[in-house]
Amino acid sequence: MNEIFDRLLIRIILVGIVCCMLFIYKYAHVLFYPSMKQQMTKRFYPAQNPADTLHMFSRLIGFAVILSSLGFDESHGLFLSIFHFLVWGTLTCGLYLISLFIIESIVLYNFEYKDEILKRQNLSYATVCFSHALAVAYVTRAVVDQSENSLVILFVLWLLSMVFLGFGSRYYSLLTKLNFDRLITQQKPTIALSYMGFTIGLGWLVGESFTQEHYDITMYCVQVLLKMLLALIIYPLFKRGLEYVFKTRTYAAGPDSAPQDVDVQNWGYGFYECALFIASAILTSMIVNHIQFGTIYPFF
Amino acid sequence: MQKIFLYFTLVIFYLGLSKTLSPTELGMDYVPNERGLSKIIPGQNVTVILTDTHATGFVIKTYYQKYRLVYGFQGVEEMIVRTSRDFALKNRQNIGMSLFRRQDGAEESLPMPPGVTYVGHRGFGEWRPDRKGVMRWRFYRAYKNLPRYLGWGRWRPDVTFQEDYISFRERKKPFYGRDQEFGSDGKITKKNFPNFFKPERQKKVDLKSLLVRYLKENF
Repeated sequence: MNEIFDRLLIRIILVGIVCCMLFIYKYAHVLFYPSMKQQMTKRFYPAQNPADTLHMFSRLIGFAVILSSLGFDESHGLFLSIFHFLVWGTLTCGLYLISLFIIESIVLYNFEYKDEILKRQNLSYATVCFSHALAVAYVTRAVVDQSENSLVILFVLWLLSMVFLGFGSRYYSLLTKLNFDRLITQQKPTIALSYMGFTIGLGWLVGESFTQEHYDITMYCVQVLLKMLLALIIYPLFKRGLEYVFKTRTYAAGPDSAPQDVDVQNWGYGFYECALFIASAILTSMIVNHIQFGTIYPFF
Repeated sequence: MQKIFLYFTLVIFYLGLSKTLSPTELGMDYVPNERGLSKIIPGQNVTVILTDTHATGFVIKTYYQKYRLVYGFQGVEEMIVRTSRDFALKNRQNIGMSLFRRQDGAEESLPMPPGVTYVGHRGFGEWRPDRKGVMRWRFYRAYKNLPRYLGWGRWRPDVTFQEDYISFRERKKPFYGRDQEFGSDGKITKKNFPNFFKPERQKKVDLKSLLVRYLKENF
């Protein structure tokens, strides 16, 4: 009975520690988003600014995703396990925020957080940030998993993941006819949904590419690079294939025409592209990561 | 059009990078023809025996050959090389044969039975009569393992075999033994290089039996 009670107590203490980590995260967030300082220090009203709520709490989801990859090993004692959790939690928290900062600097370089969220309450912008938060969290989680408690490996893999996410985000303009900057400024839901599908798909692909056993870091990085290149080749095939199978007529005016206002204001088109991007990414990941060729050739 | 160009550039880049970094490509020599063997085989008194061959790839094929390098004084080594299509197909019937020999600086690349280069060489053995009085080649005790390395089994060459070998060599024609006992169809080769002739490597895939086995194993 004593032991069971102790375990329950330890679990409750660890809940408190995780909450402490979230508290640290809240203030670390201010470092990268100084304009949020006022909101962080005063009481937050979710209903007041839905865009801001989505923007802020999407990061909370992301942080929870990353923290879930860390564990407590009580065999070395409670103190050491908490210390390990705090060190790695803080580190991953920092990496996560830096990653978000980098990705948003690449994708949303034409927009200011202050203007779009605080002044204009732009939900499309917030949705794009939401998708970044989820995708980056998934990738950071995969990187932390693979680093196996080595800071050097963590740093190398994180840099690699940032390169993939950064270049990958530029791939969007090749896959859609929607004008990202114009539609975000106009607060169209189509672009938000479409881009969300693309980013979550990209995060899934990058995260899955990192998920493999590794013994030699150089060969591992090469394997990940090759997987990403392969994904870039397979992904458009699936997208084209799905478009062909479901015989969708993309735009009202015709298949090769530029999107009209009636199209881009339509939620349906946003959902359509979102689903297409996510489905293509998951299927691509299956082709790239989950085929065991075994010994299809004779061997000596 | 630009997208298609970009896509194909990506495909070529991927294939190139994969090929360059593939572990199977690293440290493996390429043999385009007989002359290529001379460059990659080091040392003296060596005979190169083809022990296995296969091709990989459904569309673009890569051909591989496995050699046994039998050195007169140093023992035996194995080597796997990539070869050209022509060279691989040309030697399909030469399993168990010596494709290259270097003896006292002289090189020869005509397919011949394994070990003929040592036969008649006084440094390795001598002609001795067997129970029936036929003169057969016997290696000295120091080289007692050579017949096993060369894939002879219990067979030993006689003087007539040696004369035939010399005759074929002068005419620059491959020699498969007096009773065609060497080469892919030869009985001595089949007996002493069993890996290549394993039944599972020779049989064709039967879709029906494949499906039956799959259903038995999974349901």
